[in-house]
Amino acid sequence: MSNIIEIEGLSKRYGDLVALNDLNLTIEEGAVVGFIGPNGAGKTTTMRILTTLLRPSSGTARVAGYDVAQNPDAVRRAIGYMPDFFGVYDDMKVWEYLDFFAACYDIPPATRHGMIDDLLGLVDLGHKKEEYVEGLSRGMKQRLCLARTLTHDPQLLILDEPASGLDPRARIEMRELLRELQNMGKTIFFSSHILSEIADVCTSIAILEAGNLVAHGNIEQIQRQLRANRTIHVRLLGEREPLVNLLQASPGVVHLQTDDLPADSLRFDFSGDDVALSGLIQTAVSHHIPLVSFREEEHDLEDVFLQLTKGVVN
Amino acid sequence: MTNLPVKPTLWHALRQNPVTLKELRSRMRGRRAFVVLTVYLLFMSLFLALIYLAYLSTTGPGGSGARDAGKIMFTAVLGMQIFLVIFIAPAFTASAISGEKERQTYDLLRTTLLSPQAFVLGKLLSALSYVVLLILASIPLQSISFLLGGLSLEELLISQALILVAAVTFALYGLYCSARMKTTLAAIVAAYGGALFFTVGTPLVAVLVTLITGAAFITTGTVSWVTEATLTYLGLTLSATNLPATLILSETILQQENTLFFYAQSIRGHSVWLFSPWPLFILVYALAAWLLYRACVRYVRKISD
Repeated sequence: MSNIIEIEGLSKRYGDLVALNDLNLTIEEGAVVGFIGPNGAGKTTTMRILTTLLRPSSGTARVAGYDVAQNPDAVRRAIGYMPDFFGVYDDMKVWEYLDFFAACYDIPPATRHGMIDDLLGLVDLGHKKEEYVEGLSRGMKQRLCLARTLTHDPQLLILDEPASGLDPRARIEMRELLRELQNMGKTIFFSSHILSEIADVCTSIAILEAGNLVAHGNIEQIQRQLRANRTIHVRLLGEREPLVNLLQASPGVVHLQTDDLPADSLRFDFSGDDVALSGLIQTAVSHHIPLVSFREEEHDLEDVFLQLTKGVVN
Repeated sequence: MTNLPVKPTLWHALRQNPVTLKELRSRMRGRRAFVVLTVYLLFMSLFLALIYLAYLSTTGPGGSGARDAGKIMFTAVLGMQIFLVIFIAPAFTASAISGEKERQTYDLLRTTLLSPQAFVLGKLLSALSYVVLLILASIPLQSISFLLGGLSLEELLISQALILVAAVTFALYGLYCSARMKTTLAAIVAAYGGALFFTVGTPLVAVLVTLITGAAFITTGTVSWVTEATLTYLGLTLSATNLPATLILSETILQQENTLFFYAQSIRGHSVWLFSPWPLFILVYALAAWLLYRACVRYVRKISD
């Protein structure tokens, strides 16, 4: 698959403040990429450069093969952008709003009618077609804005905090909508502070802190890079001493911990692979150690985020 | 979804300009636009009827009294048009772009394929269209003066041409302020400041210059005809930057010299060709409008640093 976003050595400075520092990032066509970072990390700056709204201080950014500074019109044709804060024209009807933006993308009037119906159906606003935008809830306005980004059928959607300020139901609806867009083959590059949402939807993540990219790849890959050892939790019937003795003699067990744990439990870090771990379980069973559970500790995106970032803000 | 390019003809671009359509749809929706137009015309009609009745009561129908009434009525409508052009047109456009910034819709528009030219023209046309509608709606009232005999066709055509050119320029000036400023309040202050300067400021400057140079002439004694002719040319040129001054001077020259363009006048025994300021006004304001349009497009096109 080809890369739809190619960023090389991208920097943005405001006087002495470095908002983006030598950012290098590529995103494949069809990927759903979560862009994570603390406030002020440079996420919006990156997105504004990619959407031709901001001039970089140095470096290059290409979208769908076009340089954002050299070919802004070609880039605009390829992207649909939803900013973190956006306004709507309250005095327009829902269909008029989409019709207006479709016209701004040079969509001929004859094709707009059907297209607007399709888009409203996609974002579940078909029943609001003749109503004024003013009367829509925040979640509906958010979905309408997402429909707006699709009027010209772009390859890439750049969404800055698409679920911010939404109630739980509206957030779930937005997440479902992103999945649907992914199924339609859209590449989605979106930022969010709701890490569980990103973990749910994204095929990969990019973590930015103080203008620097600290990690990029799929979540499991990053987790593996972060942790050389996996942590195993064990619970057993009766005394844990036989198992402790067995583990202390086993290769790959690097850090055994029993303190602060119930008498029937222990925890250890293991540097071996799945085959070695399976062998360890077989050995424990052959020694008649009564295991109740033997599980690997799972790390979620929050752990990854906290490990990789230090809370530094420019 | 297909994405076919639109034919780039000027008429098509104007007719299909999405910004114009959106703005007009919003502006003309509901009763407000029609109520304002009705109240405006009722007020003007009442005002003109009072003038006409006042003249009738003093001089009776026909004769020079009717012509004078026609002239006064024409001047009254023209005064209202000047007010609309100088103060309402820039007010309409001063919020056009800054309003998009404040409403946080500006970035949405800038990431579309809408060209800066189409955006600026759309905003200009939609703002101007309502002002022009008010001006056009008052033309039948002006034509009463025409019927009464106090107004020639040339006076009507030239005055309306001046008003229209001024409307475009003042509207573009408001749009320029709107493109430059971040807030509508700042844009409106700047637009009104500029409109006031070119309406009241330039005559004040002219009066001051006249007083200073007059005092200098009194102390130095005689004034050569070249100096006086130069000052007369300067005065005419300066008046061509001011709408009320251009209207009054062009009308005076038409009445006294019976010409629309040039006339000869004796200055200290020398015959000097002078000019009616209205063609220069149209030239200066058209040029200013073009420059303001270019500046607006440049500001809209500009990518933030």
